[in-house]
Amino acid sequence: MDISAGVIAAQTANAGMPPLKAQASELEFFYGDVQALKRVSMPVAANRVTALIGPSGCGKSTFLRCFNRMHDLYDGSRYSGQIVFQPDGIDILDRSVDPIEVRMRIGMVFQKPNPFPKSIFENVAYGLRVRGERSRRVMAEKVEMALRDASLWDEVSDRLDDMAFNLSGGQQQRLCIARALATEPELMLFDEPTSALDPIATANIEELIHRLKDKVTILIVTHNMQQAARVSDYTAFMYLGELVEFGDTNLIFTNPKSKRTEDYITGRYG
Amino acid sequence: MTLGKDDIGHHISQQYNQELENLRSHVLHMGGVVERQIADAITALEDGDTQLAASVVGGDLQVNALELNLDEECSRILARRQPAAGDLRLIFAVIKTVTDLERIGDQAERVARTVLELANVEPGRSRPTMRHMGDLARRLLNKALDAFARMDVAAALEVEREDLAVDKEYEAILRQLMTYMMEDPRTITWALNLIWAARALERIGDHSKNIAEYLIYLVQGKDVRHVSIEERERQVQGDMSGQAPTA
Amino acid sequence: MAYDAQAVRRLVVRGKQWDKVFVIAGLLCLMVGVLTLALLLAGLIHDGAGRLNWEFFSNFPSRRAERAGILSAMVGSSLTMLVTALAAIPLGIAAGVYLEEYARRNWVTEIIEINVTNLAGVPSIVYGLLALSLFVYGMGFGQSILSAGLTLALLILPVIIVSTREAIRAIPGTIREGAYALGSTRWQTVRDHVVPYSTGGILTGVIIGLARAIGETAPIITIGALTFIAFLPPAPLGGEFPFISFEWLRSPFTVMPIQMFNWLSRPQAAFQENAAAAGVVLVVMTLLMNAAAIWLRARYRKRIKW
Repeated sequence: MDISAGVIAAQTANAGMPPLKAQASELEFFYGDVQALKRVSMPVAANRVTALIGPSGCGKSTFLRCFNRMHDLYDGSRYSGQIVFQPDGIDILDRSVDPIEVRMRIGMVFQKPNPFPKSIFENVAYGLRVRGERSRRVMAEKVEMALRDASLWDEVSDRLDDMAFNLSGGQQQRLCIARALATEPELMLFDEPTSALDPIATANIEELIHRLKDKVTILIVTHNMQQAARVSDYTAFMYLGELVEFGDTNLIFTNPKSKRTEDYITGRYG
Repeated sequence: MTLGKDDIGHHISQQYNQELENLRSHVLHMGGVVERQIADAITALEDGDTQLAASVVGGDLQVNALELNLDEECSRILARRQPAAGDLRLIFAVIKTVTDLERIGDQAERVARTVLELANVEPGRSRPTMRHMGDLARRLLNKALDAFARMDVAAALEVEREDLAVDKEYEAILRQLMTYMMEDPRTITWALNLIWAARALERIGDHSKNIAEYLIYLVQGKDVRHVSIEERERQVQGDMSGQAPTA
Repeated sequence: MAYDAQAVRRLVVRGKQWDKVFVIAGLLCLMVGVLTLALLLAGLIHDGAGRLNWEFFSNFPSRRAERAGILSAMVGSSLTMLVTALAAIPLGIAAGVYLEEYARRNWVTEIIEINVTNLAGVPSIVYGLLALSLFVYGMGFGQSILSAGLTLALLILPVIIVSTREAIRAIPGTIREGAYALGSTRWQTVRDHVVPYSTGGILTGVIIGLARAIGETAPIITIGALTFIAFLPPAPLGGEFPFISFEWLRSPFTVMPIQMFNWLSRPQAAFQENAAAAGVVLVVMTLLMNAAAIWLRARYRKRIKW
């Protein structure tokens, strides 16, 4: 499509969407000379799960990482366009906005579980320490709440001082989720959170994501289409750095508007 | 987006393509068998051919077996392939179509049973011919199946319109037979049987219309059941003309 | 094509024979090194074991071989090592952390990187010359423990910097990203994650560096360590105000290798024994330090599995 499909899709979708947590507009991203994202515009509904799907290299992880300015850690990256964060309406990509402040409001869970080589308690409490929390009592409360939200409390409450490495893969990932939740973020970014886990651990985390919706807005990248179908309220299909189609998950998976989306979803891709 | 005739295949998995192709051809095969049942039943009715009628009754077993096989085939594809979008609509449409085809088969069998009943009954009067209505009904099914084979929405819409003709014929025959019954009560048994046969043919028309509706859903993703014909045509037409190129 | 079991078996047998050849060759090479070392050590112990008694450790050097001891040399070595460690560790770690975490990847950092690694190969006597002009005369520290300690610190600085960098590089990027994603600043990430997780590797580098420094002779001689010291440097802790004194930093001194060298150059056989005994002590100290490094590394590796 010549006209940014994303803009049209976003506008038509906006007509019936709940309040937004964020809105990306004409977002472009460059690694050096390579353009990884081309004029992506997409709404992110508050307290809903939005899934990003697409083949490898389509830019979905790149897009995700724009939300918490992770690209700023590496030289040679450049943004253009906006991501407006509600309710204050600030553009988090603006140069004058400190990326660290952005990351204070947004949590991230990575593809491979990456707990710190510390105890379970210290892992979850680290975000609180970074924010200057000193009271042991407050930290203990928040750690417990985060571990409960991440469905991990029952399994680790008696061994909070154990090393995080001793947990299983699925437990480690839930620990990472608890770690991100402890700081009560407004938006949670999940970058293929279950691709390294077995089916049961995956199911547990999907259930967890469903329950977290009430507390936090979720944006999830997944290469597993059925997961996107199970877990999300809205789905965005990306291809070669563009947003091809965005819409209600039910519609995307029964009757997508774009042939490229249809081809990808039904396994005709290629 | 609109599904075209060539859009069913082209999956990366050749086996999946084959499974879907087999599914379609099995559906069309069942449709052919059912069509022949209808044709034979009508001929038996017109000619009073009890032997042909008996073979139609026996032939319904084959129709039932085909239904079971097709349902199992669909169930397998659902379990193993988790179809989405157009593929999902195809399975959905096939399952529903198969049910309607099986019902049509039952209606054809009912017509044949009527023939066997009528063999023992004195006609009393010259019987009103149902060949025309029967042919209409059979052609309706034929058209619906053809639309399915060619994924042709326009043909499907025509089926919906032409079903009205079948309904009209049914009403005419009904009136005629009711008149007979009122005039001469001795003809009631005979007339009732004929009414049931006519009703079966009318139902065949309705089931064929259903099949056409499933086809529209499959191709365009619009569920047009229980919607008036004018509204339906407007939706479908509007969709087809206003369609921006989506590739 | 039918499966030819015979041909396959012949291939496998031939491969296994080559396996045996290489195992034997490797073992022989290993033996050469190990046996030579063992023989050396055995020779030293044979020559010097007779001398290893309490007096040897508590006496000053003397013209009488039987009464000569290594007290001043050991104290001198220990104090020098202390100064070296105090100087080299913070400098080395800070430099390593800066180069890995803060420095931008441009041609300036490339040049620095190359040179740091090269510095490790500079002959130690060159460090002695540098020290002579810079510490002894330029800064006026004189021929003292301070100069010696700083010289050796410079010598082992590249080792510490390199091992710091290697240890930091071993930390997976995802751990760092995890810390940043929680909103930590670069300093918080370095303080709470990068340095603690690389402590094992850093310590190993430090101990190996110190083990090397303890045996360095050339630079110490160059800056003028004396060979006959029959006294100890002033004690750091005294009985009167101010209770801590730094006089010991400026005092003349000697170290173990130099003491050995001095005894070796004497003609009397008795002094050769002394030298051998001192050699044993030196070797044992070095081996102990290396063992400590290995133990530490193993311990940290158990706690931190990347």
